[in-house]
Amino acid sequence: MVDRLERLTNLVLVLLRDGRPRSLREIADEVPGYPPDGEARRQAFERDKRTLREGGIAVSTATVEGPDQIGYSIRPEDFYLPELDLDADEQTALNLAVAAVHLGDPSGRDALWRLGLPAQTGARALADVPALPGLPVLWDALRTRAEVRFTYRGEGRRVAPAALRFHRGWWYLVGLDRDKGAARTFRVDRMTDVPVAGSAGSGTLPEDFEPRSALSEEPWRIGDGEPVDVDILASPEVALLVEQQVPSAVVRERRDDGSAVLRLEVTNVDALRTWLFELGEHVVVLGPAEVRSAVVEWLEATA
Amino acid sequence: MSGRPDAGQRLRRLLAVLTWLARVGRAPVSELSERFGIEPHELVADLELAACCGLPPYTPDQLMEILVDEEEVVADLGPELARPRRLTAAEGFALAAAGRAILATPGSDADGALARALPKLEAALGALPEEVGEGGLQVELGDATHLAEVRRATEGRRQLEVRYYSMSSDEETERVIDPLELRSADGHWYLDAFCHRAGGMRRFRVDRLTAVSETGAEIDHDAPAAAAAPFVPGPDATVATVRVDARGMWLVEAVPTLGVTPRRDGGADVELAVASTVWFERLLLRLGPHARVLGPPELVDSGRRAAARLLERYAEETTGVTG
Repeated sequence: MVDRLERLTNLVLVLLRDGRPRSLREIADEVPGYPPDGEARRQAFERDKRTLREGGIAVSTATVEGPDQIGYSIRPEDFYLPELDLDADEQTALNLAVAAVHLGDPSGRDALWRLGLPAQTGARALADVPALPGLPVLWDALRTRAEVRFTYRGEGRRVAPAALRFHRGWWYLVGLDRDKGAARTFRVDRMTDVPVAGSAGSGTLPEDFEPRSALSEEPWRIGDGEPVDVDILASPEVALLVEQQVPSAVVRERRDDGSAVLRLEVTNVDALRTWLFELGEHVVVLGPAEVRSAVVEWLEATA
Repeated sequence: MSGRPDAGQRLRRLLAVLTWLARVGRAPVSELSERFGIEPHELVADLELAACCGLPPYTPDQLMEILVDEEEVVADLGPELARPRRLTAAEGFALAAAGRAILATPGSDADGALARALPKLEAALGALPEEVGEGGLQVELGDATHLAEVRRATEGRRQLEVRYYSMSSDEETERVIDPLELRSADGHWYLDAFCHRAGGMRRFRVDRLTAVSETGAEIDHDAPAAAAAPFVPGPDATVATVRVDARGMWLVEAVPTLGVTPRRDGGADVELAVASTVWFERLLLRLGPHARVLGPPELVDSGRRAAARLLERYAEETTGVTG
């Protein structure tokens, strides 16, 4: 009985050997451990191929002469990367970065393994960044200029991706919404299915597309609404804190008691309200009237 | 130990060990075991098996040259196996995201080793198209005015004097602290520090520090292990039950909960520890009409009271902006 790991290891070495596609019959002759019977052998091979694919090793097929007709190989360009030429400092820096950022799955560690840079132990974790199943798809789509499709707020969307962004604890996709014809920002965790990428080049952005218009620093600027300038009054206790937390705010007025009036550009009033309430009675909205009354109505519904 | 890894995981691990051995030639079993997180006996077994693998006709000259004893592994595997291998989309993303995250964190060296490594890596993986550029993947762990100073002091183990706005007591205080652990989670930076004013470990949100300066003293102690433990309510905390509707369900993700009982309307009854009335009131303001406190009795009116007080502030501040 041959250990399956041994069969898989030999299979990889044989399929990589000279780039020549081999029929299943040849493979079974060269790799010990496959059942002699045709159907059982086929099933065992399919299972091994699936295991390799799940491990990121692509097995290519080609037409070959003979009764089997199909031949298999691992192409070197599918298996190896070009040499990275990282010096020792750079290898250490990559290791530290992977150790410092907790993505919630072992992909980063596996990546270092595959590059031949296994981690040193003892590095300190610095950050938790959630790993979402859609992220690798979106990242690949971004690199290959592929359109992505997903469901968001109950609607099917077609988006040409422009950027992936982790900001204030959430992952966002910024891109051109093909149906709306405008730049949009989507929370990746709110996509209700795993996005599907189209073919390379299907999501090319128009030259005049400006992703920055859809990228924003503050949560109240991530939204579909029309931008509104909102004035808030921050009490003396928190005026400095608010100025530091919101670098984009324009200070409109400093009052003698230490309080300050700041102007924010807002496209998402719900997000603004959530942020304001973290500071309790220290911040009130002065205007415009519709934003102020939206906050007051919320409070009246709560009181 | 969790269960025995399947053949796919063992293959992934074995190929990783072989790539490393092809590069270094020889390594102590203990070091390999630590580097790859494998029990020594499993590692030795997998490597002994690999020593029987190679190419047909599997005569000794066609097998991988690996010698394993209890102490050390010696291998001569040739240059091919030493080459870096293709990454899956998830692996490539994880590596680029981790690198970009650290590089974008204030206090990182923009010309340092990581800044040099990432473009090489990204070039090998297949770079982002030019029109997308470096802005295509941005991982911001969050910024705060004093983050770089705090990070340098934490890494350099130097004491700080800070001004801090405390949400739970609603006041700004000055404290001398020994910064011990800095960590980004949920979009905020948190600093675990020994606070000389409180006489114990405290967790600070870095964006609520309004002034930071070094005292000149060095730190010679470590964070107690408990500082990194998950949320544990203090002895004075009250357990409140909050009924939220479907639109208030974000509460479950946003705060540490002690119990969640789902309801048929898509909402839930959520139990949480309340150590600070101010914090609880502000949480209820954010939940607004989507939450109701069921108990204990002394907290039932918290949200109503806070909303009423804030409405008074709105009544006072009616003047618009002059100028």
